[in-house]
Amino acid sequence: MHFVAAQTPQPAVQAHHDRSISEWLMRMHDASMKKRAYIGTFVVSSGASMSSARIWHVCEGDQQMERVENLTGTPRSTFRHNDQVVTFLPEAKVARSEKRESLGLFPDLLKSTDTAIPEFYAAKLVGSERVAGFDADVVLLQPKDSLRFGYRVWSEKKSGLVVKLQTLDTDGRVLEQAAFSELQLDAPVRMDKLAQMMGNTEGYKVEKPELVKTTPAAEGWVLKSPVAGFKPLSCYKRSVAPAGSAAPENTLQWVFTDGLASVSLFVEAYDRQRHLQEMMMAMGATQTLTRRLSDKTGDWWLTAVGEVPPQTLKAFAQSLERRK
Amino acid sequence: MSDMLDTRESVSALADGQLRGAAFASAVEAVAVDAQARQAWHTYHLIGDVLRSGELAACGDSAFVDRLQARLRQEPGLDRPALAPLAVAPHRAAAAPANESIFRWKLAAGFASLAALAAIGWNAAGGWADRALPAQLAQQSPAAAAPAQPVLATVAVAGGEPQVMIRDARLDELLAAHKQFGGASALQMPAGFLRNATFEGSAR
Repeated sequence: MHFVAAQTPQPAVQAHHDRSISEWLMRMHDASMKKRAYIGTFVVSSGASMSSARIWHVCEGDQQMERVENLTGTPRSTFRHNDQVVTFLPEAKVARSEKRESLGLFPDLLKSTDTAIPEFYAAKLVGSERVAGFDADVVLLQPKDSLRFGYRVWSEKKSGLVVKLQTLDTDGRVLEQAAFSELQLDAPVRMDKLAQMMGNTEGYKVEKPELVKTTPAAEGWVLKSPVAGFKPLSCYKRSVAPAGSAAPENTLQWVFTDGLASVSLFVEAYDRQRHLQEMMMAMGATQTLTRRLSDKTGDWWLTAVGEVPPQTLKAFAQSLERRK
Repeated sequence: MSDMLDTRESVSALADGQLRGAAFASAVEAVAVDAQARQAWHTYHLIGDVLRSGELAACGDSAFVDRLQARLRQEPGLDRPALAPLAVAPHRAAAAPANESIFRWKLAAGFASLAALAAIGWNAAGGWADRALPAQLAQQSPAAAAPAQPVLATVAVAGGEPQVMIRDARLDELLAAHKQFGGASALQMPAGFLRNATFEGSAR
């Protein structure tokens, strides 16, 4: 491309080193959007447990399809067509169909000028390694404060495809790892065939989650002070049946993201039978905090979940306030 | 010879939470009365610990474990809660399979030459709630005064609280909900979706 670069490879290498975090993330994202198909085995280790799945991915034009066949745990097949997701649970004969709006949001999130990502994370090329037989750049996404975890990302050199991802705690220890153990790029995956499998719900009970869009203000909740870098993304009321009971209850889900990590605040009416203990729990990179909130108008139970350090969830819990 | 192999096999299955009913009871009894079976039990837990975190392997001194057990027996409250209905025990334990999706510990059985040590030291010190069941079983067995009974009783007790806290069905629902609607991250599209689709619910 550049005459100078052709003569001396140095500038090209330099540019490679100098990619900003937004450029790295865009590159990784585009890799899954380009006309490309692959088949692979994906392994996730989190805390003490390990899961794996067989992946089929195909992209034609602006249409993306994916099939994820679990190899561990309860049998489950997940199909994704753009933001439409169907999860088949063959043992229960249930197919869960849902639209995941958040899946389409990312490029906008990154392109928009008010994105917080470069303000709170820095990207650094730290080396190159082979993953699943492919040469990959190793990129460290380092948080600039202690309210978020870091990531180490292996991005395949030619395409940019993410082939391995680690979540790192504030001391740089690995909390969770996801990687292709085997990957075949440009594999023969047919979109029409996946679409046919995804649509074949015969013999299955199709369930759709009952979600109602709402606003925190309408539900009477406010964050006194924002948690640095985290912006509200969406707010739903959803019915979740409590354990051992068929009667669903309304639970508020208020979602925040800083561009890389996300936090969900679930608020429901306090129930002395079920809400026994306030606690802080870690499962791999996912942290959970439960807390009872009280004011003169009543009692609520908060469950905060996110791939963030415990202190971030505490900051959310302290800031959440009833305004009604 | 092959008896010993059978015993090890069943102890391994016990550690993996795979046994039910009579097979469960006889494996527990083997661990309670047979020193070699107990050795295997400790070894499998050591292996499990090492697989999960190298740091847990730091405690390799069986004399230390013995001393710790002696001290534990003197602690009020930790004493075998000589209680719970014995008949219920195998059933309760079977209903809460210990660590189904965790590494298959017996894959590593070839490392059995590692010094035997109890997972229990760490359980007692750190309270690894999700492993409380097998670990407490280990903790009790060397007491050996009335082998089979207290062991089973402890299983019933241990199966009760700590696991329930972690394996809360509603919490699982909320975790799943977070993953479905909370994952609007820049890493979501390439790897995050695959990560969630692969992992979601597998801890159950």
